Amino acid sequence: MNLARYGALVLTFALLPMTALGAAPAVPPPSIDTVAGTTVLQQLDSAASLAGVTLVVRAGLDRQTMKQNGLAALVAETIMKTSVGTPAVPLEDAVAARGGSVRFTVDPGDVRFYAEALPADAPAVLDLLRAAIAAPDFSPATVRAARTALIQEIAASQQVALQVGLDMLNAVSSPQANAGLPELGTPASLSDLFPSDASAFYRAYYRRGGVLVSAAGRLDALSSAALSALAAVLPLGTTSPVTVHVAALRGTTREIVAHRDISSPWLIAQYPAPGVDSRDFGAMLVLAAFLRRTISDIAQVPGVVSPTFASRSVGAVYVYDRVPSSLVIYVNGGLIGNPSRTFATALSVVNVLAATTLQGSIEEFKAAAAGDFANNATTLETRTWLAAVFSRESTSPDFINRALAAISATTPADVQRVARTYLGNPTIALVLPRGSNLQD
Amino acid sequence: MTLRALLFSVALGAASLVPAGNAAAESALQQTGALPRGGTYVLSPDSTVASAAIGLWFRAPGAGFDDSTPGIADLAATAAAVAPLASGKSLFALVHSVGGELNVEVYPDIVGIAVVVPASAARRVVAAITAAYYAPAVDDVAVKTARANAAVLGVQQRYETDATLHDLLFKQIFTGGPAHYPPLPTSVAQITSVSTAQISDYAKRAFRSENSILALTGNVDASSVTAVTDGSGAGRMDPPYDSTLAAVPASATALGLVGGIGLAWIGPPITDEKAATALDFVADYLFRDETGVVSKALDQAAKDALVVGQFITMHDPGVMVVTIGGDHAQAARDRVIGALSAMRTPLDAQTFNAAREAFLYHIASDTETPQERADNLGWYGVEGDPTYAPGIVDGTYARSVRALDPAYVADVVKHYLATPVVVTMQAKESSQ
Repeated sequence: MNLARYGALVLTFALLPMTALGAAPAVPPPSIDTVAGTTVLQQLDSAASLAGVTLVVRAGLDRQTMKQNGLAALVAETIMKTSVGTPAVPLEDAVAARGGSVRFTVDPGDVRFYAEALPADAPAVLDLLRAAIAAPDFSPATVRAARTALIQEIAASQQVALQVGLDMLNAVSSPQANAGLPELGTPASLSDLFPSDASAFYRAYYRRGGVLVSAAGRLDALSSAALSALAAVLPLGTTSPVTVHVAALRGTTREIVAHRDISSPWLIAQYPAPGVDSRDFGAMLVLAAFLRRTISDIAQVPGVVSPTFASRSVGAVYVYDRVPSSLVIYVNGGLIGNPSRTFATALSVVNVLAATTLQGSIEEFKAAAAGDFANNATTLETRTWLAAVFSRESTSPDFINRALAAISATTPADVQRVARTYLGNPTIALVLPRGSNLQD
Repeated sequence: MTLRALLFSVALGAASLVPAGNAAAESALQQTGALPRGGTYVLSPDSTVASAAIGLWFRAPGAGFDDSTPGIADLAATAAAVAPLASGKSLFALVHSVGGELNVEVYPDIVGIAVVVPASAARRVVAAITAAYYAPAVDDVAVKTARANAAVLGVQQRYETDATLHDLLFKQIFTGGPAHYPPLPTSVAQITSVSTAQISDYAKRAFRSENSILALTGNVDASSVTAVTDGSGAGRMDPPYDSTLAAVPASATALGLVGGIGLAWIGPPITDEKAATALDFVADYLFRDETGVVSKALDQAAKDALVVGQFITMHDPGVMVVTIGGDHAQAARDRVIGALSAMRTPLDAQTFNAAREAFLYHIASDTETPQERADNLGWYGVEGDPTYAPGIVDGTYARSVRALDPAYVADVVKHYLATPVVVTMQAKESSQ
């Protein structure tokens, strides 16, 4: 499809009839309690088969210095490798043997552990997690095993071009240099981190202040006290981020290029975006839905209705669960004939959207935004995490109803304003196969 | 979408839609009943999520009722989805306009239409999906779209090791019947040789209300059933479309756009729930991504090989399929065979108990979302035993898992997983 046609499409912003939907059924909001000083969010779901619990600790990237790149992940991975239970085996194996799983994610400001189990096994699984977090094994052998695991994971992620590109873009867009470091560090930085570093980081930042426990699913066997006990093993106290200012690079281009052992190029654009508490949140959800559908249509084989390699080769994602939030547009050059043209067309759509007056109905894109949000918020892990994200700056963790209400209230003028506010100047990452260059 | 979800979805690309043959635990509120104008429904509500999944499943032979038109089920199911309804808008367009997704899932003996939408649109979609399929109005325009769709998907599948090997293995195992033929048309000639009239006739015969199961999950309630708009109300569900087994299935070599090795074993029918569950357990224990014994060994060896293994529960018989891709497929094949041989000896009690508990967890994890639950309820319903569908709290499936013991699993492995049918697919470039 040519650019002119898409320009026209954007200008009219789809003159579509109002979509007649029924009223959205009310979804019970998560409950929020403060138990022994810990914020506990709960979403009871009696239809679920599992119980899921997210523990958020203020020990993320922004607690590292620049030289400590990877330390937050090393501590979290050491907790995963800490032997617990009887017989004593690493936490991740002990949880698996009890019928569950546990994993962690390092965010700019937090590290979060997510444990999931069958309802009857959930108390035992949380006991195992609590034991490991209360007393991580910082012996050289365990820290070495953690480092090895992280290096393997980093190697795997370096084969994922989108991850490589996002790491670069996040580093650029982060207001704090340390908070923009790679989530797992690098093999080189990890090799300079020792058990004493890990132990010191744990002692300094694994504190009860700011800890949040978010649970969802079959919580019949998990009381609020049991959930808050996860945090109670940590010492009292609050911590502050390490402030690291690095002067921004000055240059005439906003393109970042990296080469990796991948088979095809990826093109990724990142725009700043509002957080979930912004008045622009709903409009950005609608805007992201519009972009996602539009660039998918650009890439799709004409006349085909099923998802194809081509339609999956592009995407637009509003990453609102990370600080700072962003809008990401990507093109996977391995699945599409001319990725540069597709990418340029997508960026042009964004430019036109930001520069021209919108006319017509946006109801279909509001429906798409609502559908995307609702359909992506169905796993327990996502539900616990989104409740935590929405409770960060607000007293309401009611992510579903807040998001749907924000979408419902969005007007074309809101979309226009948000497009003009945020979509002016993307940073672009190009992740290329080794041996290729931009001219290729 | 969260960042984790984005990276996961990109990494997966197209996730297999075949229910994993494993799942577990669901709401005690699950209901079944008769649809107003024929057919049955299965309802598994969950009012704590904001989306609803609607699955409409049929017994329908992929290659036509006389096996002479391979791909006709896919063409008919797609054409019915894109044909305009009385409102002027097709089901496909309607689902997209309300912010949902629609996928047509075609297998040798069954067809599923899988829709996920915001809960507010559930009734409207139930009305539209039953209108589109119970009273299909397939025309030339719709067929043209279905043909274009099938052509692209057919070409695309040639680059997918797992799906291509799967079809080749079934061709070796079954000498006749729908499972002998790929569900997707494999050539332009196949696609164009089926006329609009044939497709329309097929749709009217296969997509009858009484030949269907409507699975409703997520934020829906029983009142959605009243939104059903069409259906004759007469007749019964077709008998299962089983295929003819080869007396002695032969291994084969094939050329393809990608290389790989496929292994298959003929398993028990769905009625032998204990044995079928045992093979699900074996597949989970050995081949599940990240946690399977074979998968972990391959990861640790850091060799380029990807093994996908599952027992596919069907009416009669089920089939255990293992597909292997990557540069070290041969070594991975040896590892697969070795691991299966080891399973002929009962696992020690501690290992077995941990693996069984992990299996129960994996089942629950695999049926967590409304879409996954609807897929499982629909699949197992049309294959012949809705009560056996994984995902029912303390249902038949969960009880079957808990009843497994090491000796029985070893016996099942000895009985069913002896010598596999092997298909070796050589990439055309390397073979030339």
